[in-house]
Order: sequence, then C-alpha cells, then structure tokens
Amino acid sequence: MRQRLVRRYAAERRFRRSGLAAVVLSIGVLAFLLMSMAASGWRGFVEQRIALPLDVAASASAGEMEDAVAMAAEAAYGADGLDYISESAWKTVRDAFRADSSLAGTSVVIPVPVSSTLSTALRGSGPETLVAAAQRLDAEGKISTHLNTHFLTGADGTDPSAVGIWGAFKGSLFTMLVTIVLAFPIGVLAAIYLEEFAPRGRWTDLIEVSINNLAAVPSIIFGLLGLSIFLNTMGLPRSAPLVGGMTLALMTLPVIVIAGRSAIKAVPPSIRDAALGVGASPVQAVAHHVLPAALPGIMTGSIIGMARALGETAPLLMIGMRAFITTPPDGISSPSSVLPVQIFLWSDEISRGFVEKTSAAIIVLLAFLLAMNAGAVYLRNRFEIRW
Amino acid sequence: MTAAKITARDVSVYYGEKQALESVSIDIATEHVTAFIGPSGCGKSTFLRCFNRMNDTIIGARCTGRIELDGEDIYGAEMDVVQLRARVGMVFQKPNPFPKSIYENVAYGPRIHGLAMDKTELDRIVELALTRAGLWDEVKDRLSESGTSLSGGQQQRLCIARAIAVDPEVILMDEPCSALDPIATAKIEDLINQLRGRYAIVIVTHNMQQAARVSQRTAFFHLGKLIEFGETSELFTNPRAEKTKDYITGRYG
Ligand SMILES: Nc1ncnc2c1ncn2[C@@H]1O[C@H](COP(=O)(O)OP(=O)(O)O)[C@@H](O)[C@H]1O
Ligand SMILES: [Mg+2]
Repeated sequence: MRQRLVRRYAAERRFRRSGLAAVVLSIGVLAFLLMSMAASGWRGFVEQRIALPLDVAASASAGEMEDAVAMAAEAAYGADGLDYISESAWKTVRDAFRADSSLAGTSVVIPVPVSSTLSTALRGSGPETLVAAAQRLDAEGKISTHLNTHFLTGADGTDPSAVGIWGAFKGSLFTMLVTIVLAFPIGVLAAIYLEEFAPRGRWTDLIEVSINNLAAVPSIIFGLLGLSIFLNTMGLPRSAPLVGGMTLALMTLPVIVIAGRSAIKAVPPSIRDAALGVGASPVQAVAHHVLPAALPGIMTGSIIGMARALGETAPLLMIGMRAFITTPPDGISSPSSVLPVQIFLWSDEISRGFVEKTSAAIIVLLAFLLAMNAGAVYLRNRFEIRW
Repeated sequence: MTAAKITARDVSVYYGEKQALESVSIDIATEHVTAFIGPSGCGKSTFLRCFNRMNDTIIGARCTGRIELDGEDIYGAEMDVVQLRARVGMVFQKPNPFPKSIYENVAYGPRIHGLAMDKTELDRIVELALTRAGLWDEVKDRLSESGTSLSGGQQQRLCIARAIAVDPEVILMDEPCSALDPIATAKIEDLINQLRGRYAIVIVTHNMQQAARVSQRTAFFHLGKLIEFGETSELFTNPRAEKTKDYITGRYG
C-alpha cells in the first residue's frame, strides 16, 4: 500500500519534470532564434555615415548636386573618395538642405551614407587595403552610426545600403487587408450556415469533408489556382496585393470556417433555447446570442489563419509577387512585394550587404506576426464570456 | 370547468421512428397551475415542448394531433411560431440566462417584439417583470451586472422574469427547480403561487410533493401515455388508475 503510494508520487513528479523540461526547451529554442536574429539583424536598422565637407549653392539642381557631392568626396578623401560614399549620398545632402535651408551656400560637414563596400570593410572583410583605409577613417572619427530611416521608409533596390522594407511591409498590409475583408465575412457566414441552418445529410457531410481537406491542401496549389483564375481567366493585374489577397483568402477560408464552426459549436445550446423561447427568430437567436458568444473563438482562429497567410511565400510567387519593385505600392492594384517574398529574394542575393537586410526584414516580419497574435489574445480576453 | 386556454387532442410525438407520446388529450385552464408528473422518460418534456413548438428545433421530431391556444391551431398555417412563443413563454430545467446584463436579459424579449416605445417604457416593463418574479429588490442596484453572476435560484427567477416580460398568456416550466437547493426551490414555488391566475402555468416536475404543493390539476404520464388527469388533491389521495397509485406510493419511478 505505502509502496504503491510512493510509486504514484514518483510517477507524478516524473511527469511534471518532463513537462517542465519540454517547456524550458521550447523557450530556449525560441530565445536562441530571436537572439541570433537580433544579433545579425540589428545592423540592418542602422547605417554608417562618413563626414563629407562641402559647399553647394542653394540653386543647385539635382544633377549639379550629385556632381558637387562626388567632387567633395574626392576632395576630402582623394581618388578613392567616390568609392567610400553611397550612390544615393547626394539625396542625403539634398534632404539636409531641404530640412535647413540656411546650410546651402555655406561650408558645412554633412554625414552621408557609406557605400556598401566600405560598410563591409568597416566590419573587417573585403580587400585588405580597403579594410585598412576603413580602420583609419574610423580612428580619425570620420565614421558615425545613424538610424537607417531609409530602411523603414524605402523599397527594394539593387544597392543593399539603400534598400528599404516599407514597400514590402505595405504590400503585406494591403494583402492582409484584402484577405481579411474577403475571408472573414465569407468564412463566418459559411460557418454559421453550416452549423445552424444547413439540413443534416449527405451533402452537408460532403461539404464538411471537403472543407477539412481544403484546409490541408499545400499552399502552392492555391497559388496555381490564383494564377489560372484571377490572372489568366479574370485578367486581374499581376503582382498586385489584390490578387495576392484573393489567393490567400482562398487558402485562409477553410481555416476560418473550421475555427468558426467549432466556436459556434462550443456555445451552449441552452442559449439558443432561451432566445427561441422568448420568441426570437432563428436568425435573431444566432445574430444576438450565438454569434457574440462565439466571436472571440472565431477571431482567435481567424487571426491564427491570417498569421499563417502572412508568412506564405509559395502561392504569392505563383502570381508574380516576386517581381523587382522599387516603389512602395499606393493601392491594392499596384505591383508590390510582401515581407516573406522580400526575405526570400534578399536571402538569394550574393552581395554581402543583403545578409543583414534579410535578418532585419525577418525581424520586421516577426514583429508584424507578434502584433497580430497580441491582437488575437487581446480580442479574446476582451470579449470572452465566462459562463 | 371554465373555458380552456389550451386544448390538446390526440397529440402524438415521434422522434424519427420512435414514438415518444401516444395520443394525449388534455385541457389547460388559466386559473389553475397544471402539473405533469411521471417517471423519467415518459414524455412530459416532450409534451410540454409541443405547446410552444420548441420540438420544431429538434431534427426528426414530428407532432400529430391538434393543439389549440384560445381556439387557434398552433400548428396551423396561419400561426406564426415567433408570435406563438411570445404568447407561450418557457422556463427551462437548467437556468439559462443570456451572458448579458440582468437588464438586457429581461429587456431582450420586449425589444425584439417591439413592446416598448421608448427607454422609459422599457425600464418600466423590466421593473414590472422583475418585481413579479420576486427579484426586483435583490437586483435593482445591480441591473448592469451579468445575469450569469447571480446565484442559481436568482438565475431561474431571472429566467421567469424574462418570460414574463413579453406578457405571455401561458408559462411552461420544465422541472424549474431540479437544479436548485431547497430554499431557492421554496422561493420559486411561492412565486408560482403568486403568478397563478394571471398566466396559465404548466409545470413539469419529478417531485410529487412539489406537484401537490403548487398545482391544482395534475396529469400523470407513463410510457408516453396520459394515465390520469384530474384535481391534484383527488389524484394524490384517491387515484383512479392502478399505475398512478403505484407511482405515488413510490412503487417505481
Ligand atoms: N431529442 C430527442 N431525440 C430523440 N429522442 C428523444 C429526444 N428527446 C427525448 N427523447 C425520447 O423521448 C422520450 C421522452 O422524453 P422526455 O419527454 O424528455 O421525457 P421526460 O421529460 O418525461 O423525462 C424518452 O424516451 C427520450 O429518450
Ligand atoms: Mg424532462
């Protein structure tokens, strides 16, 4: 008797310990992932600038300014000077003049972005002479580190020091918007109809099985579907968030229907009886009582489905969202990229400077995802009903 | 015998192939509380749910025969089921307040049936219903709290208030006290006594003492058949059918 008791407690302790170990392990893996991302990604959010003394007239045109900046670089750093500054350095000068017009026409020192070769050299890789030059410049205090605002406001490009994530971020935002506007109402209505009104029978069973299967179809198949229907048959614009959103809506729809049905099923039937009992029509019973009670569950399920859609790459490649697009989209029908595709494209670049941009873009995507999941938790807690 | 509020003639109910109720006829008057008793599974709830057509919501349930409310066939084509349920209210076995405020629970019925012109009138209806349900004094300061935060007995009285609020003619109660403690049960029984005469009340109970305490007419069901129906005092002291006698003396059930 005593022995059995001892064994039982031992088993209990073992079970708890292994549970704890599993949790610690998964937290550890997650922390490692986040830390390695942050370690290599933070550089993507900053840029190094080199001090550039110059004197440009206020009336200089864009071309004149570009020439003036190039000449100033050569004057300050010799023949190699032009290699030290980024191609878009003159834009920084222009912006600085715009921000403070008293600077123009006087001798000023403006920190301008370094070229990606110099930035690589500053980190100690690349040709030895350049690395040595970089170290010398750094020791002389010519190099400073700034927040890379262009990364947060620009779009894709060929020069890794001048690319931005805003274009892809906006593309993802528009795509998600289209997806949610299409998939949420349709999915919820379908779930309500199937759960509350559809006659039970072979057809309903067939539909149920089909929906469950659709949720398990590989996403690239939805991309093919989008390609052949939305692009080839309907002739919608290629590479646009509209089509991307529609394709992802197809993919998310079954997830929302399934989440919706189980949330509706979890509402106690006594609530329906109560509503019908005071003379509510079936639609009123659903709209006034069942749906509000099921909404937190529906929203949680939908946001998880949306989060999956946000991370999708394959179906969007099929509908042309891998195009090289250098301006942020200004609507759902203008060509655009999305975050996961942008990450995929940058990770494919050979140029060294893109590595940190890739990590930085992953951080942005993870932040987006975290925000969405936090939203899901908030909505659930806000609207949850305790029986 | 005064004019019956509800008359049921040859009512049979089937769940799919299975017959749950066999050819039951009964008259229900407003001035009495009518109790349905009988062993569990004998069809009391099934019969009760015919009166407001709640059986319609059960897939495969079918009702034959004729039930009239004030002479109107409730299964007739011109009877609107939503309207019917406003006239025939129901209180369920397990208290089932909406997960909304106490006020909203009571106001819901009047609101969907458009019984109140404005907020003042709605407030008045809510107060009246809660007063009649004997709950007003307990909740008047916490009308905005959730209905589910009340105790079981209070929840059941809230459900009665919700039924009363649409001013029904009949109130059906399906074992309203089976989930409650004795004190809460006594309050509900008191309440039933106070409501008698204003509404035709039909109460299903498995508790014979309760039937004896609250009802003036009792119907005894067994295996889907109505065995005996008569004055409560008569049925309990002097049952005519052998089966009734066996049941009330506790030989089964
Ligand atoms: N929804 C249903 N589907 C199928 N059979 C049912 C259903 N509800 C009740 N029954 C059957 O009908 C009979 C009467 O049930 P019910 O009216 O609930 O009895 P009571 O309320 O007297 O205990 C029982 O045999 C029960 O199994
Ligand atoms: Mg019952």
